[in-house]
Formats: sequence, C-alpha cells, structure tokens
Amino acid sequence: MQQVFYLVQKEFRQVFRSKIMIGILFVAPLIQILVLGNAVTTDVTNLKVVLFDNDRTPMSRELLRRLANSEYFIPIEVEDDYTKLSQYMDRFEANLALAIPGGFQRDVVRKSAPKVQAMVDGLDGNSAGIALGYVAAIVQKYNADIIMMEPGLRNEARAVRQVKLEPRFWFNPNLESRVYIVPGLIAIILTIITVFLTGMGIVREKEIGTLEQLMVTPIRSWQLILGKIIPFAVLGFIEIIIIMVFVYILFGIGVAGSIPLLLFESGIFILTTLGLGIFISTISETQQQALFFAWFFMIFGILLSGFFIPIANMPEVIQWITYLNPLRYFLVILREIYLKGSPLAYLLPETFAMIAFGLAVFTLAVVRFRQRLV
Amino acid sequence: MSLPVTVSGFSKSYGEVQAVKELSMDVSPGELFGLIGPDGAGKTTTMRTLVTLLRADSGKISIGDYDAETHVREIRSIVGYMPQRFSLYPDLSIDQNLNFFADLFNVPKDEIPKRKERLYRFSRLEEFADRLAGRLSGGMKQKLALSCTLIHDPSVLVLDEPTTGVDPVSRNEFWNILAELKQQGVTIIVSTPYMDEALKCDRVSIMHNGAVLAAGKPDELTDLHEPQLFELITGDIVSTTHILSAEPDVISVQGFGDSVHIAVAPDISSDSLESTVSASLQREVTLKQITPTLEDVFIHLVNEGSRDDG
Repeated sequence: MQQVFYLVQKEFRQVFRSKIMIGILFVAPLIQILVLGNAVTTDVTNLKVVLFDNDRTPMSRELLRRLANSEYFIPIEVEDDYTKLSQYMDRFEANLALAIPGGFQRDVVRKSAPKVQAMVDGLDGNSAGIALGYVAAIVQKYNADIIMMEPGLRNEARAVRQVKLEPRFWFNPNLESRVYIVPGLIAIILTIITVFLTGMGIVREKEIGTLEQLMVTPIRSWQLILGKIIPFAVLGFIEIIIIMVFVYILFGIGVAGSIPLLLFESGIFILTTLGLGIFISTISETQQQALFFAWFFMIFGILLSGFFIPIANMPEVIQWITYLNPLRYFLVILREIYLKGSPLAYLLPETFAMIAFGLAVFTLAVVRFRQRLV
Repeated sequence: MSLPVTVSGFSKSYGEVQAVKELSMDVSPGELFGLIGPDGAGKTTTMRTLVTLLRADSGKISIGDYDAETHVREIRSIVGYMPQRFSLYPDLSIDQNLNFFADLFNVPKDEIPKRKERLYRFSRLEEFADRLAGRLSGGMKQKLALSCTLIHDPSVLVLDEPTTGVDPVSRNEFWNILAELKQQGVTIIVSTPYMDEALKCDRVSIMHNGAVLAAGKPDELTDLHEPQLFELITGDIVSTTHILSAEPDVISVQGFGDSVHIAVAPDISSDSLESTVSASLQREVTLKQITPTLEDVFIHLVNEGSRDDG
C-alpha cells in the first residue's frame, strides 16, 4: 500500500506543479458554470414587441398596458399605422407584433368573440412558441380580470365573449431552465475531468517512457492502477464540491437533498469514467489519440444523456442505446437529489444501473490494461 | 554480490518480423559486457527481455538463480534498467525523481539520504538537486537516469545505448562511472553504436539481424578479420572506391573519413592493386597495411553474413 501512496504523492506533485492543470481543474469549471449556466437556457426574455391599437377604448388600452408591462417584453414602439407593423418584423427590429383591431371593446360588450392578432418571428420555432405562450398567458389573465368581472353578463355569455388566442406552440414559459441545467453541468464537468485526465495521464507516461521505467520497478500492476486513479478520483470529488459552492454562490441553487448521497452516487459514477479513461489509455499511443478517443466517447455520452435533447424525443432505437450511457442515469440522479431532494430509495434503479456499468467498465479496462503491460 | 546473466536460444518475434533468433550469451559475474550492432540488430529487444519488459517466445534467460519467465518481480528488484530514451519525470526535480524511484524500489527510508549522497558524489548533480529534470542538459539527464537506475543498488545493470546523443566529455565521464561500478562488482550489459566504447568492454557480442555474428574480447575479435587490410588515402574517394570495387581480388572497399579501407584476400600481394589504382587515377599511390579495428571486423562479418545469405 505504501507504494500506492508514493505514486499518488508523485501524481499530486505533478498536478500542482503545472499551472495549466490548476487552470483546468479550478478555473475552467468556474468559467463553464458561469457561462454555460447562463447560456444553456430555454427561457425566452427581452422580446422586442411593437404594439398597435386600432380600438383606442379603455378595454383595449388595458390589454395593451398589460402586454407592454410584461417582464418578458420590451415595447419598442406603439405604432399608429397597421401596415407598418410588418416592416418592424422584416427589419428584425421586433420579435413580436401585437395588434388590437377596431371594435375590440364593442365585441366584448356585444356577444361576438373579440380577437387580438399576434405576429411572431418564427425563425427560431422554439422561441416563437414560448413568446406566444407568454402572450396567451397575459391574455388569459386579462380574460379573468376584465371580462369575467364585467357585471350583468350571464355565464354562458361570458364563455362566448372571452378573447380567444390560439397558440400554435406550447412551452411552459415558467420553466426556469438554469435550475435544470446546472446539475447537468456538474455531471458533464466531472466526466471531462475524470475521463480526460486519467486517460491522458497514463498515455503521457507511455509517451515519455516513464511507464516502462515504472514497470521495471517491483511494483505490481494493481498498485500502478490505483496510483493512477486515486489522484483523479480525489480531484473529481474536490471538483464536485467546488462546483456545488460555485453554483450556490453564483445562482443561489443549493442541494435540496443529501450531500453525502450525492457524493456516494458520484463515487459510483466516477468508477465508470475512470474505467473509460484507463480503457482509452490502452487503445492510444499518444496524448492526441487519447484526446480524440475521449472526445469520441464524450460526444455520445453528452448528446445521448438527455442533457440537451430529451430522451423521450429520440427515435426508439436511439432511446434503447441511451440505456448504455451511464451519464443518462447520473444526470437523473443528480437532478433528483439536487432539485427535488429525493432519497436513495427513489433512485435505486439508476443507482444499480450505474453500479453494474461501473463494475463492468472498470474491470474490463483494468484487465485490458494489465494485459498490455506485460 | 555479483551475478551472472545467461541467455540461451532466445528468440522473439513481433508478428511477422523476427527480431531476435536463437541468441545465446553468457555474461560472467561482474563483467562489463557490450552489445554492438546497427539499429534493428535486436539489441533493444534482447535487453528489454532481460529486464522482463518483454516475454521471450522461446529460450531461457536467467539472472543469478532467477528465471526471467517465472521470477519477474525478483529480477526487477535486482536489475537496474536504463532505456535508450530519457524516461524520467521532466516535471519533477532531480531530488524528487531520485526519492520517487527509491520509494518504489523499497529502499529503506533511513538509507535513502546515504544512497543519494553517494550518487550525487559521482554524478555531481547535487547542486542542481532542485532543478526540474526536463531542464537538464543531455549529459546531465543521462547521469540522472543512471542515478535513478542505481538507487536500489542493483547487482545487474542493463543500459540501452546510454551515451547516444551525449557530448564526448559527458560520454567519457559516463564510462568512467561504469568502470567504477564494475569495480564494485556490478554486472553491466551495455549496448552502444560507438566502436571506441566497445573497446572499453571486457567482452562484446556483435549483433546483426537478430543474431550474434561474433563474441569475445574486443582485441580477440579483431583477429576474426582474416583478409589483409590496407588503407589508401586519395583525394577522390568516390572514383577510388569505384575502381577498386571492380578488381576481382578486392573483398570489400569501405570509406573511412578521407581514406578507404581495402580488404584483400591474405595470399594476394598489394603491388598489382597499387599499380591499377595509380594507372586509373594517373598518379602514384601507396597502399599501407593496417591492423583491423572493431569497425572493420564488424563490416567484414556483416558482409560475409550477407554473402552467405545470398
């Protein structure tokens, strides 16, 4: 065991000697969390909106006021000429144009259904859908507050007179995606650190010839492997804690569940990534090759994890493939613990899947590594 | 304690390529044994197998009482191996590299300072102890590598071209260290492409294409050069070589700097050759008989080998 300690000690000396490594370990995650936590978002805000009111009645003005004051919209102009609305859209000056036609109040008071027109920049279909959702929400609130309160209207009449807006897309506008994305980022950063550093760490020793020098010492191959993975596992855990602190300070998102449970699950997950790192080192002769292979696996790992694309939206065959992706399970576990505070009892299927993967990948990698050594 | 190294009938292939075939050699305890031969002769493969980094396809290799096939860890703890390429941690200091290998070789903690002091004495690296290994000169790197190889007091040293790419002064210094180690009873097996270094060995094996062409004391090996050897200095090596190659009595012509070495069958007189070359070059030339060097022997044996093959 002493030998393992010496190897670990050496590894840490090398890590802390290198400014680049310190940057990779401590500065890069901060930047990633800061930038990606804000950038990878599905919220749509600051939509530029141009308004047109042809009715100019108290009722139309109230609706206009509500639209203009929404936190999602920035009113850039109240236009008098309906024909000019399309120009704002053409010049990309507005994402959204809202027009209240003449006779709006009259339609409310009479029994015919009043209408509001919304023109949305549909280039980005997703954002357009969300924008329309905001409008729908505001109009609905307006319905409830104004029309339903109108005295003297019979119930059946109320139903008819409500302003109707038919949204073509629907997306929950109140989803705060940052809360959802950040735990995912922890999984991704942890994967990068452990897979890349382990794989490249071993291949680097191959490249400079020190692996051979180690081999002629009396240390055993399991000691060598432990000496290589313990440092990166420890760094992985330090990384998780650093990220949790960053996330709390920057976004005010704390861990809802148990932190020991989160670290325990991370430990299981790291088994897989370290195994993958060792495996990569057995198929690479140079650090460039190791980097390439690591990226190859990472791309699949990230894209098929449900981080960007919901797994339910994938074709069935691909969905089956995602079951082979440990990141998929870890992502679920992290979000459950982080956001919902779920206890282990609810996470057993994912936990067992990760244990099975971890043991399989790790064992195979180690066996392959040992075969390569002699 | 000095240990012998015995190799018998050792063969090793990489796929289709036979790197070493049926190699045998006996290195006596405390001997300084040289392996000489061109790149691809099988020197590195032999050495890597000696230190258990490779497994022999067939044959038996033993160091002292230990068999390389079955006593891997025992051999690793008594052998010091220095690969051809510098392979220490460039981002650790000299001192850290030494400590690290001392630890891995289970050198007792209280013993380490003494060992380091002794190694520093001959390597004269002490004043650079805190310098990173990556920032050392070629000669210093080799001395550090040798020091790391010696930290566990090995009985047998295996050095693969330790002085390739090292300046002449450092080379000389390095060989003085080897001579000192030999006096302490360390068995040393060293490969080198330099013939002057081969002369410093007790015995050498000349290797070519995975086989030993000849083995023995360096001065005995020169006796293996049966043909007479003449040296000829002309201003024009190219045409001299050309003219001589056409002569039926000439066995081989080899350029050596500004002269050519001409091997001629023992019973032939040099007079006729002299007149042929003089006639062709249209000036007087004189052939000077010389004693063959190890290099001449090597070339002669390789040529002979390829003639036998053909």
